[in-house]
Amino acid sequence: MTRPAWVRLDNASNIFLAARSDADPKVFRIFAELNHEVDRGLLQDAVDEVYDQYPLYHAVLRRGVFWHYLQDSDLRPAVIGEELHTCAPLYQPHRRNLLFRVLYHRRRINLEIFHALSDGTGALWFLRDVVDAYLRRRHGHARLETTTPPTGLSLTMDSFAEYFRHPAEGTSGERWLESDHEDENPGDPTTNRRSTRSVYRVRGTRTPDHRTRLVELTLSGSELARQAKAEGVSLTMLLIALFFESVRLASGGLGRARTMSVSVPVNLRQFFPSTSARNFFATVRLEHTYGEGADDLASIARGLERRFAAKASSSALESRVRRFVRFERMPLLRIVPRPFKDGLLRLINWANNRGLTVAISNLGRVTLPEGADPHVGRMGFHVSAVRPQFCAMSHGDQMTLSFTSPFLETDHVREFAQMLTQRGLDVSVAAVRASEGELAEASLDGLREVGA
Amino acid sequence: MSAEASGRACPRCEVSVEGDWSTCPLCQSALTGRAITSPFPAVPLTFSRRRVFRVLFLMSLALVLASLLVQLFFERDDADLGAWRFVWLGVATMWLVVIMAIQKRHNLAKGTVYLVAIVSLLCTYWDYLTGWNGWALTYVVPILCASAMIAVLITVRLMRMAVGDHILYSGLTAVMGLVPIVFLTLGWVYEPLPAAICGVLSLITLILLQLARGGQVRHELSKRLHM
Ligand SMILES: [Zn+2]
Repeated sequence: MTRPAWVRLDNASNIFLAARSDADPKVFRIFAELNHEVDRGLLQDAVDEVYDQYPLYHAVLRRGVFWHYLQDSDLRPAVIGEELHTCAPLYQPHRRNLLFRVLYHRRRINLEIFHALSDGTGALWFLRDVVDAYLRRRHGHARLETTTPPTGLSLTMDSFAEYFRHPAEGTSGERWLESDHEDENPGDPTTNRRSTRSVYRVRGTRTPDHRTRLVELTLSGSELARQAKAEGVSLTMLLIALFFESVRLASGGLGRARTMSVSVPVNLRQFFPSTSARNFFATVRLEHTYGEGADDLASIARGLERRFAAKASSSALESRVRRFVRFERMPLLRIVPRPFKDGLLRLINWANNRGLTVAISNLGRVTLPEGADPHVGRMGFHVSAVRPQFCAMSHGDQMTLSFTSPFLETDHVREFAQMLTQRGLDVSVAAVRASEGELAEASLDGLREVGA
Repeated sequence: MSAEASGRACPRCEVSVEGDWSTCPLCQSALTGRAITSPFPAVPLTFSRRRVFRVLFLMSLALVLASLLVQLFFERDDADLGAWRFVWLGVATMWLVVIMAIQKRHNLAKGTVYLVAIVSLLCTYWDYLTGWNGWALTYVVPILCASAMIAVLITVRLMRMAVGDHILYSGLTAVMGLVPIVFLTLGWVYEPLPAAICGVLSLITLILLQLARGGQVRHELSKRLHM
């Protein structure tokens, strides 16, 4: 019998483990909405087929003395109906279970993943293959070549290690950065410099049972993109400016904390030719201070865009990630037992959180294999959140903005939606019932007792 | 899909709403039109923080009251049970403080007022049980009131609270600070300094409040006392 393969977690994943809490289990969901009600049997077959091609997804998480590590397992995933709230916890320290689940409800196929396993881009590959395999079974269209190169799906591939491990000598990472990609959405990680200004933080009533408060807005992505273009800003920056404005309007006065800050993940695969399905991103922090110059939407978006672009030098990006990797590999740190490292990471995470108002993530416009595409409508994703957050994803012309928050209040979403309708967009709202009152209205048979 | 079936409409947000909501999930306005199915199931609560806290709160309250009654009728002269009684009262008070802090976390100034009132009453009763030495009225109540005034001032600055929410309770803590002066004039205390300091502190607070926010206090008072 061969010993199961194992691999150490990359640095981004360790943060997720340390930052995990009851209110924010660090789980995200990607979904595709079909044009018919999902057939459970076909979906299970499709998941089985794709699962065999993704060794990474077979992994379970173990706790070592010095680090967490991923280990191969022979578990099989079972497709389940949606009986949990979105982004419910996946990883439990003493249970050896898979780090993802596939759920279905009516027309939706949902893939939920513990963030330490993969990032949005990696998860999207898996979902895309599942949806394609499902629709192939249902409609019998031929299989096209796979959307992802098979090498990236192995357990052992860690692009952080591959591109940033070796100092000094020209690694493949540096070579790529020197070629200076002309990217429309470059990242900048040097933004961790703390501003001395007071950052506004949203407070509210927590949901009754730690569930993530979710509201989805669906609208025409092409129309919003056209408006962004007319104002001379990128779509992501317009969305951030709208988000800042909606939080400000919902706050009833910012008081002295007039700075809004946002964390934006940047996919490192656009700088490095990685095909890893594991985490491979860095985050950028951007901010805007109200009351210091122009505060209209276009100005805010342009200011954010300028900062984003100015700090988007590839060398800054590289040095930041390299610093992380070097930190992680410091000889002294390597011999510190894991619980202490977790404590340290929790502290770093706490300090980072204090400087953030909101977070956003835009996975952009998704294309599916040709045969599958016409059968799929909306696609989108949500994440569990410690602060108001939204995720954007488009498929075809439909853009889905998913607002998640640990608080019951949806005032900022109301402001956001009203700003969109004032811009002439048709907005459709889909919300999850979270408060006791909302659930009572859905005429459920009451509350399950504690621990049930 | 959102194009072919738009669902109910919110007249205020001018959005369409998926699912069988009777009011808008964003602004709570009444919705018009025909409902379409929600893309999400209504997942029942696994537990409810609010109910858990309410049950805990009521239970602690009942336990504390029961213990006070028991001690009043049966244990007044029992010297052996004295120490045990102190521990028990201490634990009960701590529970009350913790639960109240959670319950009232959206209005800390209000919570502080409740806290000072309850802890003062408990300590006075405690003093009465242990032979009426006067330590509660002499030290505990003035110190609590003075600390509460300072705590509310700090809280208001730190939490960026809306003026209307805290101003009444800030005022109330200051008024409570005058109560030890009453004890002093009635001769219930054996050491006048704590009550005097507390009284002066609350007078200063009240004068400052009146000077800085007099109009707002009157507005809030008229708003809240309006029938
Ligand atoms: Zn509305």
